Amino acid sequence: MTHVPRNNPEQEQGQDFVLPVPISFEREWLKDLESRLDKGGPWGDWRLSRLAIEGEASGLVESFEELQCMKHLSSLSPLPHQIDTARKVLFEMSGRAILADEVGLGKTIEAGLVLKEYLVRGLVSKVLILVPASLVLQWVRELNTKFGISAVAQKKAYSWDNDIVVASMDTAKRGPHKDRLISDEYDMLIIDEAHKLKNKKTTNYQFVQQLRKKYCLLLTATPVQNDLGELFNLITLLKPGQLGNQGDFAANFVVDKRVAKNEDQLRGELSKVMIRNRRGEGPVTFTKRKVRNVPLTLSPEEQTLYDGVTSFVKDQYQESGGNLSSMLSLVTLQREVCSSRDAVFVTLVNLMKKLPEDSPRRDRMIELLQLIRTVKANTKAEKTISLIQEMNEKVIVFTEYRATQEYLLQYFREHGIQSVPYSGGMNRGKKDWMMDLFRGRAQVMIATEAGGEGINLQFCHHMVNFDLPWNPMRVEQRIGRVHRLGQQNDVIIHNLSTNGTIEEHILHLLHEKINLFETVIGGLDTILERFEKKESLEKSLYKIMLEAGSDEEIRSKVENLGQTLADLKDGMLNESEATP
Amino acid sequence: MTMTPQQVQKHVMDYLEATECQVIEKSPAHVTVKLSPRADQMLTDRPYYWGFVERTGAEPQTLSFTFVFDPEKYDAANAPAQRVSPVVNAAGGAAPGQAPNAGGAFPAESPGLSAGRDTGPGQASANPAPGAGSSPAPNAGGAAVGAGNTPAANAGPNDGILSRYFGVTPVLPRLGPGLIRREDVTYGSRRLRQIWSAAQTEGKCLHLFEVPGSLQRMTLFSAAYEPWLAVCFKVELSCDLKREELHFIGVSLLTGEVRENFGSRLDSIQLSPRLPENVHIQPYELTVSTGADLLERRIVSKLSGQDYGWAEAARRRLQGELEIIDAYYGELLKEPDEAQRLAVEEQYNGRRKETIWQYEPHISVSPVIYGLFHLRKQ
Repeated sequence: MTHVPRNNPEQEQGQDFVLPVPISFEREWLKDLESRLDKGGPWGDWRLSRLAIEGEASGLVESFEELQCMKHLSSLSPLPHQIDTARKVLFEMSGRAILADEVGLGKTIEAGLVLKEYLVRGLVSKVLILVPASLVLQWVRELNTKFGISAVAQKKAYSWDNDIVVASMDTAKRGPHKDRLISDEYDMLIIDEAHKLKNKKTTNYQFVQQLRKKYCLLLTATPVQNDLGELFNLITLLKPGQLGNQGDFAANFVVDKRVAKNEDQLRGELSKVMIRNRRGEGPVTFTKRKVRNVPLTLSPEEQTLYDGVTSFVKDQYQESGGNLSSMLSLVTLQREVCSSRDAVFVTLVNLMKKLPEDSPRRDRMIELLQLIRTVKANTKAEKTISLIQEMNEKVIVFTEYRATQEYLLQYFREHGIQSVPYSGGMNRGKKDWMMDLFRGRAQVMIATEAGGEGINLQFCHHMVNFDLPWNPMRVEQRIGRVHRLGQQNDVIIHNLSTNGTIEEHILHLLHEKINLFETVIGGLDTILERFEKKESLEKSLYKIMLEAGSDEEIRSKVENLGQTLADLKDGMLNESEATP
Repeated sequence: MTMTPQQVQKHVMDYLEATECQVIEKSPAHVTVKLSPRADQMLTDRPYYWGFVERTGAEPQTLSFTFVFDPEKYDAANAPAQRVSPVVNAAGGAAPGQAPNAGGAFPAESPGLSAGRDTGPGQASANPAPGAGSSPAPNAGGAAVGAGNTPAANAGPNDGILSRYFGVTPVLPRLGPGLIRREDVTYGSRRLRQIWSAAQTEGKCLHLFEVPGSLQRMTLFSAAYEPWLAVCFKVELSCDLKREELHFIGVSLLTGEVRENFGSRLDSIQLSPRLPENVHIQPYELTVSTGADLLERRIVSKLSGQDYGWAEAARRRLQGELEIIDAYYGELLKEPDEAQRLAVEEQYNGRRKETIWQYEPHISVSPVIYGLFHLRKQ
């Protein structure tokens, strides 16, 4: 055989074709073929070759601009807004975007669709997904089961060798992992809960900035938490310069930390990099939320304790001469009495420890402790048990206080109801374990506020607010755990509230005035932002509770506050109707 | 293009047949199969096990699967069967003591039922299972199917713990009679992708001869066969988006003639790995390597006729992005502090590289399969 050297210009016949785009040929096959010819095989089976070709043909991406991933996903039927989002990210944003849907609209699904599309197109193979530790396994599970994407959780150093790795941000940003990740190149980077990247000076931010990535998705339900500068930082991470320099941005768009100017123009710029679907709008239909307020009357002992604490708090406030900040923890006492005697006991003891031995306050507090001892039963807990027995289904009970959580666990156990705790302090393994137990065996999950983030409990549609947070966003987050996409039933929300206490006022505000429980308020965050230009809602409430002389006064002040919120809400509605 | 369950089944069956797997049971909605050692090595991801078999010479135990192509139909067909089975058992008295299955796993298919199905045409129409009666190991096979079909068999006691640790349960081999994993194989499923890629690994490099008609053996003169080098190329046109094309083209190593749609010519004839009797191969005028050059030139010439609007658009996008980056960092690079400026410069270069990587249009060409085909001269 005469061997003609390859790419010999003499041997080329006819004209040369010049392509406007560089082309590369994979030529390993020729070596393989020649070596097999030398050795006389082994040769492949024609039936298998044909199968391979048919396989390729069936998955061939025939168009630049057509979503391919849907035909590969037989076990998933995404909602229209999710598919729209995926399409926008691919074809309008070229794969770099902030997905900022409100809680519960399925940002993970959207990110999964985008990722799947790039994988199917063969544009992405190496992927890094950074999420809070508590969400690692959930991501792995969803990508595997819903999208057929072989993602693995990062467990050991060698896990990084996998193509698609889900890791916790806290692990990844530390050495030795950090150096390894920075020296790699990722076709795609996905970051969940990306609002944790709002500060330029943090290690999180600098780490993500150093990662080399082609496509990048940042997921957050709250792109702006405190000020517009945060949004600027987030976008700079994704596409530096998109909003100009920090100076340009401030000059063009910012009036005050929280107030934007040239909003239309800003919105236009943002829409090039950010997609935000809201719950109140669009074709997404959720099941209904049904609210049952359960008014309770404190037992005489509990009422005495409550009154004792209230007068203690008032007196202290008077004495301090209206110094608000040091008094906040005292209002907490009042709230805790409404929850459980255990909660108020723990706080009281802690407060006492901080006081000097001879403080006159000590005596008052010891009196209160005596009062606590007289309380034998918990009216709310009794009611909760009877509610749970009535429903005879899975229930999630939310409380603000760890002590109440502990108490309820024990109380339920005594009454033969299987319950599991869930709180922010648990490590991720334990959290997952508790979720599994709740899904399987236990009837009740008792969660403290920290349980609000990142858990999905679509299989449960009863929730009990044993006590209420004073921040409406946190209430919404609680509900969002259960009332989200995938929930098949109407969600039934039981609000326990004790008559004649501050709880009654709060429930009145949240339920009657802003109708928080029943309707999904689109842009609740915006309403609060506008309200809280001066002071947070929580703080305003604390102030009212401390300063008001009588129950009547509290009532009218809360009423005013509620009216302001309701007006803001109406204003928002009008705006969104005016600008379709 | 997507595929119907029937098409998927055809692909999977082709693979199982080509790799000599042992089909235990088959219906339009599913197949239960004991893998051949060859297929097991490609599909079950057990390198340590196969290493062990190789070193010790132990008799290999391959895994069995129930691949379900149409889960809805399959479940529907099996649901009524459960209700019927005790009756069948009582009537036939064939399977003593198998009805009350342990652990809540409902009795799906069992030797008793397969027997019952053969005798009861009413049910048989739903799930004909032609292989059941004639399968090589009806007893062992039938029992295995029974367990494999119960969904409960998919969730062993360890799965909860493992999935808590890994997020998903790794696929563990299930050995022994009665342990067959059910797997839904639909378009887009991992298993189907794996089968295609296994088919490519084993079938990519070919050396084949056209099978002549039976008359050829009788004729006096040997037939002249022309050698062709043929490759099925996958062309990927990428920027931040992507389009693909397949081109199956062949070149005669005798004349240098290039033919497109080579696959359709191959489809119309029968091919064999052995040189048939009474034919002769004409000597190669071109080397394989020269042939490869000609094929690549043809690809380039085909591509040169295309519209490159997509690439222009991508370059415009790239340009726009680069301008934004240049403007942004241009300002920052005025930083007087040397150390800080270097840091900014590094960031700037990094960001520029990333952007070019993201948008820059390019074409890459790789083979799906390739080989030498000796065809009767036309």
